[in-house]
Amino acid sequence: MAFRVQFENNNEIGVFSKLTNSYCLVGIGGSENFYSVFQGELAETIPVIHASLAGCRIIGRMSVGNKHGLLVPSSTFDTELQHLRNSLPDKVKLQRIEERLSALGNVIACNDYVALVHPDIDRETEEIIADTLQVEVFRQTIANNVLVGSYSVLSNRGALVHPNTSLSDQQELSTLLQLPLAAGTVNRGSTAVAAGMVVNDWCAFTGMDTTSTELTVIESIFRLNDANPSAIASTMRATLIESMT
Amino acid sequence: MAQVQIFDSSFKQLIGDEVKFLQMVASEARETKEAPEKWTPSSVSGLICSYCKTSFNDVQQQREHYKLDWHRYNLKQSLLSRSPLTEEEFNERADDVSSISGSESEKEDNLESIATSQGKIFLKTSQGVVFSMYRCLLFAKKEELDNNVLLDRLRECNVNNQWTVIMLGGGHFAGAVFRGSTPILHKTFHCYTVRAGQGGSQSSKDNRSGSQCKSAGASLRRYNETALVQHVHDILETWQQEIANSGLIIYRATGAYNQSILFSGKVPLLNRSDSRLRTVPFSTRRATFTEVKRVHGLLSCATLYESSQTLDDVLKHEVKETSPKRSKVKNNNINRAKSRENVERPLPVAYPASRSNSLERTDQIPSEDNLYISEQEISTKSLLENFDDSLTLEERRRKKPKKTKSRNKRQAEREALHKAKVYELMQLGNIPNFELYLKNAKIPDDESDNKSSVINEVIDAHGNSLLHIAAMHRQFDLIRYLLEHDADPCLRNSSQQTPYSSTQDGDVRTVFKTFASEFPEKYNYNKAQIPIPAVLTDEQLEKRKLVKKLKREKEKEKKKATVLKKQEECERERFLQLSDREKRALAAERRILSQGGTVVARCFLCASDMSGKVPFEYSGNKFCTIDCLKAHRLAHPIVLS
Repeated sequence: MAFRVQFENNNEIGVFSKLTNSYCLVGIGGSENFYSVFQGELAETIPVIHASLAGCRIIGRMSVGNKHGLLVPSSTFDTELQHLRNSLPDKVKLQRIEERLSALGNVIACNDYVALVHPDIDRETEEIIADTLQVEVFRQTIANNVLVGSYSVLSNRGALVHPNTSLSDQQELSTLLQLPLAAGTVNRGSTAVAAGMVVNDWCAFTGMDTTSTELTVIESIFRLNDANPSAIASTMRATLIESMT
Repeated sequence: MAQVQIFDSSFKQLIGDEVKFLQMVASEARETKEAPEKWTPSSVSGLICSYCKTSFNDVQQQREHYKLDWHRYNLKQSLLSRSPLTEEEFNERADDVSSISGSESEKEDNLESIATSQGKIFLKTSQGVVFSMYRCLLFAKKEELDNNVLLDRLRECNVNNQWTVIMLGGGHFAGAVFRGSTPILHKTFHCYTVRAGQGGSQSSKDNRSGSQCKSAGASLRRYNETALVQHVHDILETWQQEIANSGLIIYRATGAYNQSILFSGKVPLLNRSDSRLRTVPFSTRRATFTEVKRVHGLLSCATLYESSQTLDDVLKHEVKETSPKRSKVKNNNINRAKSRENVERPLPVAYPASRSNSLERTDQIPSEDNLYISEQEISTKSLLENFDDSLTLEERRRKKPKKTKSRNKRQAEREALHKAKVYELMQLGNIPNFELYLKNAKIPDDESDNKSSVINEVIDAHGNSLLHIAAMHRQFDLIRYLLEHDADPCLRNSSQQTPYSSTQDGDVRTVFKTFASEFPEKYNYNKAQIPIPAVLTDEQLEKRKLVKKLKREKEKEKKKATVLKKQEECERERFLQLSDREKRALAAERRILSQGGTVVARCFLCASDMSGKVPFEYSGNKFCTIDCLKAHRLAHPIVLS
């Protein structure tokens, strides 16, 4: 399922949260509304953790992670690191990275198997990503933009990229990532798709501004509901048509 | 390229109805932008890399490709919108590419940046004529270039052709108001405000150091600075009307001080927010009237180019001109830390001195050759032969020691041999052999004519004589022989030991002692440190006894005399301590004694005669000596009542 949420009247929820298959990080807000939406949806399956990094709430842009691990920038405080370590499941590795491009969420996009990274990222960082997150790392750009983390969202089931990505590039990316790929927007046309939404294998959260069309694209490409349009069109078609006539 | 005054009517015609900014795009950049679009992937499956323009057979290949340096490099290239390299090209260039990052920013001096760096804008009229003029005439510094207002602005500067130019700097002021190209008002003056030695204005120096320097020059400059401000204010106030009417105010005021003259004060001369204010967009010289005119002339000129092509050529030419200049400047800085390049230069050709060459040369330059020959013939040596003995001082010095040295050497060798031989003989202690040798040695040595000199010779390095050596080696017979043959026992070796003291051996020492007792007069045995044995002849003993007696008697007499003297002295002192009456009594006593001979005074205890003496006395009792007095007192102790 996909849900619309807002963080203190801000639709860029991808900035203030980080969602993976084994945990969810939520920025510390003025009210608990934002947190409780995640809590209500995810509490049964994965831990939802209040977090801050280097005293900032923009945890979604500063950190990157999947079900195997979480990478945080070097500016993270020791106390924050300790809190995360205590709250995260034991099998999730936590690592602090010395990287010049410290907004890791903006320069790295990943699911549980592959990661796209900024062309300028350190070789050492690339290795750490491969080791900690257990992914294959590719240096890429999305629609001639180096901030791959901002302009693409990956899950294990699909990927959403910047709307300006050409068809050939989409094709190339989808073969590279071995994922179905769609170019799209969130939050009523925002191209920074990663800033506008978070997704894991079974649910997605988007900004409150996201239109239903955008939401449909998101749900279909990430296969968030079993009764997706393609199913209606193919497997259920015969029964539907029969009943209609 | 032609120059046009922007106030002329020809310029107005030139502008016409439409003027646009000239678009300057480097031709190379255009090519690279088009290039990536041309490539169309051969496979439709998506097994491609669009950055490197390659296709793959399977996913594995593609994934591996994305981890190659080649891909990274091309990725960077594509971000810089450059064409990618093929794998072969990349491998070739891999050595050159210092970092695979590919982000080396080659700052290409494209035409646009060169053109605008001069502070000019390039415009194109509807007729296709390209011309350039200074940007500051149309737009203020922070204004955006705008096509819409461009034409209006151009026309404006034709309408109001009155400009004010003000230049301030280094104590110089130059200002003028121009109408068209003719100055209607102008004024220049100079105040001494700049510190000649160090540079900089006095006020800035004062602000920096905190304390104000009190020298005459400093106070003069301080005064002049305030005077300059006053003058400038006065001048500009009189021009106020003209300045208000002028379309542009072009000023140059470097530094905070000069700026403050124009823009601060109680009533600022100029308003910073005035839209007509412009700075001079190029470097200027000292503020003088001619410089003001030059600035005005340069600013009011527009440069015409026939077409955009000629402009390109001109700019490119400028680039070429400027770039070697830069490199030249770099070359001028010699890095002395680095070792200099070793340039191999050919060796200079030697002058042909051989006979054959010189013969060949005679035909061509005979005079030179003659000179050469004569040079060989003039030898002063032959002339000097007559004065052969007249050696130079140096030569003399050199020669003399050579001869003596050689002789010395020979002698030294001979002596060494001789000494070694003697040493050997001494050790053996064979007297006849030694005697024989000494006799032989005496003959060749013309210097040491007598035997004693040979016998007293120093033999070894420690300064030991024959006697020393004999003593050390316990050759008793030899010692005796040597002493008999005038070997001096007083000679000392280098450690200041005589032959006697050079050995601790008692037997050797007795040999010396017995010899000394036998021949007590032969040597000075005291000097030889040989103790004279106790056994002496009777005569000598008697003599000595006599001498001793005499000495003793003399001493006795001396002692007696000293005792007497002492007694006399004591007497005198006691006498001096007496009162005058006692002295008189004593004198009377003596007189009586000398006249009659009767005893006048007797000691109270022993009753001995003490007339004519100063008595010892206590409580009226007189005694001859202190001992008597003491005894008397003990016998009659005084009972204190």
